[in-house]
Amino acid sequence: MNGMLNVQELNVEVASKKLISDISFGLEQGDYLCVLGPNGAGKSTLLKALMGIVKTASGDITLNQQSVSQLSQKQLAQHISYVPQAHGRQLNFNVADFIKMGRFPYHSAFSDWTSTDKQAMDRAIDITKTSDFLSRQMQTLSGGESQRVMIAAALCQQTPLLLLDEPTSFLDPLHQVEVHQLIRQLNQQHNISIIEVSHDLNHAAHHSKHILALKNGKTLWYGQSAELLQSSHLQDLYDQQFVFTPHPQTGAMVALPCELSNDVS
Amino acid sequence: MKPFNILILILVATISILLISPYLGLNSSTNAEIQQHILTQLRIPRILFAFIAGAGLAVCGMVFQAMFRNPLATPFTLGVASGASLGAALYVFLGFSFSIMSIDGSTFAAFLGSLIAISFVYSISRLRSGFSTETLLLTGVAISFFFSSLILFTQYMSNVSDSFQILRWLMGSLTTVGYRDVLQLLPFVSVCIAVILWLSRELNLLMAGDDIALSRGLAVQKTRYLLFFVTSLCVGAIVALCGPIGFIGMMVPHICRLLIGSDHHWLTPATLLFGGSFLIICDSIARLIIAPAEIPVGVITTLLGGPFFLWLLIKSRNKSF
Repeated sequence: MNGMLNVQELNVEVASKKLISDISFGLEQGDYLCVLGPNGAGKSTLLKALMGIVKTASGDITLNQQSVSQLSQKQLAQHISYVPQAHGRQLNFNVADFIKMGRFPYHSAFSDWTSTDKQAMDRAIDITKTSDFLSRQMQTLSGGESQRVMIAAALCQQTPLLLLDEPTSFLDPLHQVEVHQLIRQLNQQHNISIIEVSHDLNHAAHHSKHILALKNGKTLWYGQSAELLQSSHLQDLYDQQFVFTPHPQTGAMVALPCELSNDVS
Repeated sequence: MKPFNILILILVATISILLISPYLGLNSSTNAEIQQHILTQLRIPRILFAFIAGAGLAVCGMVFQAMFRNPLATPFTLGVASGASLGAALYVFLGFSFSIMSIDGSTFAAFLGSLIAISFVYSISRLRSGFSTETLLLTGVAISFFFSSLILFTQYMSNVSDSFQILRWLMGSLTTVGYRDVLQLLPFVSVCIAVILWLSRELNLLMAGDDIALSRGLAVQKTRYLLFFVTSLCVGAIVALCGPIGFIGMMVPHICRLLIGSDHHWLTPATLLFGGSFLIICDSIARLIIAPAEIPVGVITTLLGGPFFLWLLIKSRNKSF
């Protein structure tokens, strides 16, 4: 494979507990990969390993045929940016200051703020429509606003690959749609490759291009997103029966979890 | 108010304090020659020293608060200062006496002590998976107690004059400071503050947490080690010369953060000026309150700091930094 990102037999251990074992996958430029799986499957750990936040025990990660172990953290941050699980509102920062920190990988200790930096920042703010709350404190933002600010900061890094860890998990339906629209726009209009950890399997099945399903740190299924709903793997993945039915409005197939049959009496 | 204006205000206040404080408590009945001597040979070096030491302690406190994202994390609460104290106490107790490049050996002993303390605290708190600030603080407290008892032991084993010397020094005092001490302290504190000013952007990122800092491209571990090194050097040098003057590193940066915000481009210079002025004020109080006798300045800062610590503890519960 010679895509932009290649992961070969990746293993991650934290405190001698194996969190990820032998995961391999590849990503082309412009791809949109959703990582699905039950809680504790190693989805977040996978993103953190790609971002260099947790150390890998063995295996290769290559970016454009270059091993990431040869890159400094700063160089890595020029290729990959990361939006962690929602905690933007716990940060004690001014929104503009926080977004501005996304330009860190392009600066050395004494370098000045340049027009390139300003352009990158303006563009990130423009795409994420965050210009209205630049002067506010992060703690005062709503969940949806905070998530857009987190994405804006990552966009400032101008990386070809963006990692998102459950970007919609704590949002109401309206803001979920809004954030997902933004992610699709980044992928389609700006050709940014996306890896998104998600629990929203219908969204993943219909809007991402590939799906990597993880369970207990291992790859359970990896393939074209559209095929997920046709396979029986969904049941294996979540240990839960699903029924499939066309969406009344769009006709697209959606998966719904079955009611648990054993009565509580 | 804009950060720039606030910084100017703090600067003006600092200059006024620097100019006024030498004349406080100067007895006008003595003749001019003696007054002149007191002013130039005693007061001015003492005030300069207080300013440098206060600035150094406050900025080191600010760095620890940012690194560990907790207002209670300072070189004192994490045992760095007691490590430095133990180093210096052992230097007196074991009867060492050397100097390298005219810098007294006790400074190096204190530096080693603080470096050992922070390495100890940091590695122990990382042993448990899922590094947490609570573990770090508790480890720091445990190490502080451990080192304090070693200091008491050292003091108990010493002869009467060494023992008294250690005790006076442990209270934190600026009584015997001269120009020589100012020159001893200045290089360490300025190097430390220069590095910290240079790392403003890095400190801002550390405040966002390790995950975000790493994803923005900051080599978190390396930065942390560099900061440990320079703050240990700074705290070691200060503690060796005037004893562990507590709580400045916690109160001053926290107050400055409330005044000017948490952007370290502004926060560092503000903390530096505020910390310096604050120690001058505390020292003036220590000098004047029961004049002609003096109280160790550490007693004053701790008297102010204790209640402040409790207030922070109550206020910051369930609220992240």
